[in-house]
Amino acid sequence: MSNGINNNGKSGNLLWKLLRKHVSAVQMAGFSLASLVGLVIVLLALQFYIDIKPVFASDDSFMRQDYLVLTKTVSSIGSLLGSNAEFSDAELDELSRQPWVRKVGRFTTPQYRIYGSLTFGNRALRTYLFYESVPDEFIDELPADWGFDPVHGKVPVIVSRDYLALYNFGFAATRNMPRVSEGMIGMIPVQLTLSGNGRSETVEGRIVGFSNRLNTIIVPEEFMQWSNERFGAGERRQPSRLIVEVSRPGDKAITEYVAAHGYEIAGDKADSGKASYLLRLMTGVIVAVGTIISLLAFFVLLLSISLLMQKNSRKLQDLLMLGYTPAAVSAPYVKMVVAANAAVLVAACVAMLVCRSLYLPVVSSLGVAGGSVAVSIIVAIVIIGAITAGSVYAIRRRVATLWHN
Amino acid sequence: MDIGGVLAAAEHGYMEISKIELHGVLPAVFASRGAAGSEVWCRDVVLERGRRYLVSAQSGTGKSSLCSYLYGYRSDYAGHILFGDTDISTLGVGKWCELRSRHIAYLPQEMRLFPELTAMENVELKNRLTGYRGVGDIKAMFDRLGIADKMGEPVARLSIGQQQRVAIIRALCQPFDFILLDEPVSHLDEANNRLAADLVADEAARQGAGIIATSVGNNVMLTIDKEYKL
Repeated sequence: MSNGINNNGKSGNLLWKLLRKHVSAVQMAGFSLASLVGLVIVLLALQFYIDIKPVFASDDSFMRQDYLVLTKTVSSIGSLLGSNAEFSDAELDELSRQPWVRKVGRFTTPQYRIYGSLTFGNRALRTYLFYESVPDEFIDELPADWGFDPVHGKVPVIVSRDYLALYNFGFAATRNMPRVSEGMIGMIPVQLTLSGNGRSETVEGRIVGFSNRLNTIIVPEEFMQWSNERFGAGERRQPSRLIVEVSRPGDKAITEYVAAHGYEIAGDKADSGKASYLLRLMTGVIVAVGTIISLLAFFVLLLSISLLMQKNSRKLQDLLMLGYTPAAVSAPYVKMVVAANAAVLVAACVAMLVCRSLYLPVVSSLGVAGGSVAVSIIVAIVIIGAITAGSVYAIRRRVATLWHN
Repeated sequence: MDIGGVLAAAEHGYMEISKIELHGVLPAVFASRGAAGSEVWCRDVVLERGRRYLVSAQSGTGKSSLCSYLYGYRSDYAGHILFGDTDISTLGVGKWCELRSRHIAYLPQEMRLFPELTAMENVELKNRLTGYRGVGDIKAMFDRLGIADKMGEPVARLSIGQQQRVAIIRALCQPFDFILLDEPVSHLDEANNRLAADLVADEAARQGAGIIATSVGNNVMLTIDKEYKL
């Protein structure tokens, strides 16, 4: 005889014994598998994106990703005819109205002569120099001591990484000079002698960062302003180089516009921007595919629940007739759905972490440590949470309709 | 008193449905043909706690409809039904669940047992909800109705008469102010009719509850205070 009648709290067992009939293991397995596949695709794509993104971003931590440096093409005929290499206000206006342009910044050039000298060991490098400045907002990660204060007088400088390579592998090698690392060079003071406007002064500069993207030397805008006022002729000059933040780095409209106006994109550094854009695009596509699979899995679950409750509707009604509340009657199916989804969530996160451990060595060989998994796991919880909530709602609604029959 | 108060009080076990009133009640399906000759439909009827009523009827006169209205799973009628002072059309799902496990016991004509569960499990399913009976109590009832040997049998393997007795036991596994018996003994012989009637009558008397039984001919062997022709 099967009577566990003393266990008043265990009416759930009896309910489950009654309601598990018609629960289709195949359908639940189908849902779980489809849901798992969808979720793993979403998570893996997302995690891969998070992990690999620094490979592109680390290309140049000082400058924003989606930007271009524009100049006018210098042609031999143009320079003979004295055509202007500077951008007029009208041209600047037109450029900033382009849909792919987020922001346009001007390179400011010094209006005086600069003589730089770099001393280390007992050797010195002396040369006439040139530098520019851009608005700080175009510098993604400002070095700690960026900025200029005339009282202290130290000038932070960002130089192209190419210059360092040029020195180390070209100049130093042939002249028997010591090679320097990026860390070392930050400690070497650079004397900048500024002359113009009838004055000549020396300020101390220090290299605080290297840029792959900017083929130039950058100083803070404050310093440029201060020095131009002090040593310059005081005239306003139009910029000959522009820095443009673009919304879609790969956009064809950009190259078309640039070609049509006779501009040039400095270097070909836009490639990394394009790659990063492609990475984002591909991640988006894969996440979309995973989301669609997850959605289909959700519909399989809804369909399965609907069928199950249809087949058991008489029993569910009879339980309501006994005085069981709709919540109590729904509980076994709610628990089933929650358990299946929890299992899918855990399995998907584990699968994602395992796959990640397989690709992470490859990524780290590119010099990136890998990002956090928190975002992916939160996304997984949100997706599974939404599927669970939707299913529980469907179960509750179904029972509610049975009440009124 | 509002129903919230009634039920709050009911939870503490001292409030009860003292009477059920029907005022001009007519099933929607009878709306066109009326209910001439009926002593229930379109009348004012008061059913009091502690008394026994027989609603005798021809088939198709709405006997089961009456039970379904009083048990709250159908509301396709005109007129008003009151539990105490509360119009039952105002009751929500939660309140009906409370009424079904604490105040109104019901034996449906079609019994609505779960055939795959044993007789005992069927009874347990109700008793676990209400927590009203001990195991000994339940076994005694099985004993009294002569089906003690059937407790562990799946209901599907019981005869209709045995099933009817299981359903009666299940209906008694809760406190009630009224018990609705929809043709309770239609499949019982005279001896078992008497056993079942006595069990129900004893329980109702113990709780001071009212009995509302319907019949199309095979009357339950109860002493009836008042008979209504439907």
